[in-house]
Amino acid sequence: MSSSSPKGLSRIAANRLHKELKEWQMNPPAGFKHKVSDNLQRWIVEVNGAPNTLYENETYYLQVDFPENYPMEAPQVIFTHNPPLHPHIYSNGHICLDILYDSWSPAMTVSSICISILSMLSSSTEKARPVDNDRYVRNCRNGKSPKETRWWFHDDKV
Amino acid sequence: MAEPHNERNASSSVDSDLGNTTWDSGKQNAGSSSSGFDCNICLELAQDPVVTLCGHLFCWPCLYRWLRGHSTCHECPVCKALVEEDKLVPLYGRGNANSSDPRKKPPPTAYSDIPHRPPGQRPPPASPSSGQNHFNQHHAQSSGFNFMGPQGTGAPMAAARFGNFTFSAGFGLFPSLFGFQVHGFPDGNGFGPGYPFGFPMGFHGAARSYAPPAAVSDQQEAKLSRLLMFLGFIVFLYILFL
Ligand SMILES: [Zn+2]
Ligand SMILES: [Zn+2]
Repeated sequence: MSSSSPKGLSRIAANRLHKELKEWQMNPPAGFKHKVSDNLQRWIVEVNGAPNTLYENETYYLQVDFPENYPMEAPQVIFTHNPPLHPHIYSNGHICLDILYDSWSPAMTVSSICISILSMLSSSTEKARPVDNDRYVRNCRNGKSPKETRWWFHDDKV
Repeated sequence: MAEPHNERNASSSVDSDLGNTTWDSGKQNAGSSSSGFDCNICLELAQDPVVTLCGHLFCWPCLYRWLRGHSTCHECPVCKALVEEDKLVPLYGRGNANSSDPRKKPPPTAYSDIPHRPPGQRPPPASPSSGQNHFNQHHAQSSGFNFMGPQGTGAPMAAARFGNFTFSAGFGLFPSLFGFQVHGFPDGNGFGPGYPFGFPMGFHGAARSYAPPAAVSDQQEAKLSRLLMFLGFIVFLYILFL
């Protein structure tokens, strides 16, 4: 039994992820699908752009990787494949969203992260990359995690 | 010895095969019915529960880890309000294995790195006559031992009032727990009206360091204690044989 729990997660983290997954299955956030896999430590979540927004009818994928001491530490959340064009989403999938970094709290869940990301998408008024996209992506070429970035957060409402 | 963590460990070893949809439905139901009392961090029914001044409920070990290890400025995980450890309120439910005699309580095992949960701040017993009381904090909050803590809540409290004499007694694990309130005592000796004696005499020494500045001398105190003991005993007999 315990051998099937991922090695990288603490017992507390695994318990909590089981719980979150169970709640997700009973009450998934609108616009998201969890892709069933055996890997508790990496969730792939399908995101569907909300109706009447710039991302309507578009599908994206989030990759959520949990650290060993989740939820004390934030998961790493990035878009895979073709990240949506958004002023806070870099072309390598990294997302400039404070709750994923400095403002993380252990009371947040994958579900609440997803809702924040969808609301960030939905409130966008232009499909564009961040102004510093090229410089940032170049800096991350060696596979740097967005959690290693020292982010400063734009105070606009996008 | 009923370890509260055993049950948790057992339930946590849920089959982690994610494709398996046969989650233990019994546990699910239990979870949803208790969800108002789930820890905001581990999402399970809070154990060693503490509540912040902003009203958010956590397991003490969960909150401790967050405050000491990971939070940037001791903020509440739910609402970001400042959380001060000495202002947390522990919750003592009924019939919980945790609420056995605190003197025998083992350290919260499985979390050997987590200290005891902070004790409750116990205000003096309520005075039925005076609207606003001006008691000093005078409870026995001695080193790590919270007298009216877990098991105090399990003991039924009886209170009776005769004229200007209020008597209350706690029955249960501490038969010696008497509370007296004598009204109309002369003010000259430092006892204001309605001065509460919420301690068993045996523990009085432990509480002395918390005595108000106007504390009377030991002699007077002992005399008064004996007098009150005697009065209490008479009232006790009165109740018993009425
Ligand atoms: Zn907890
Ligand atoms: Zn709060």
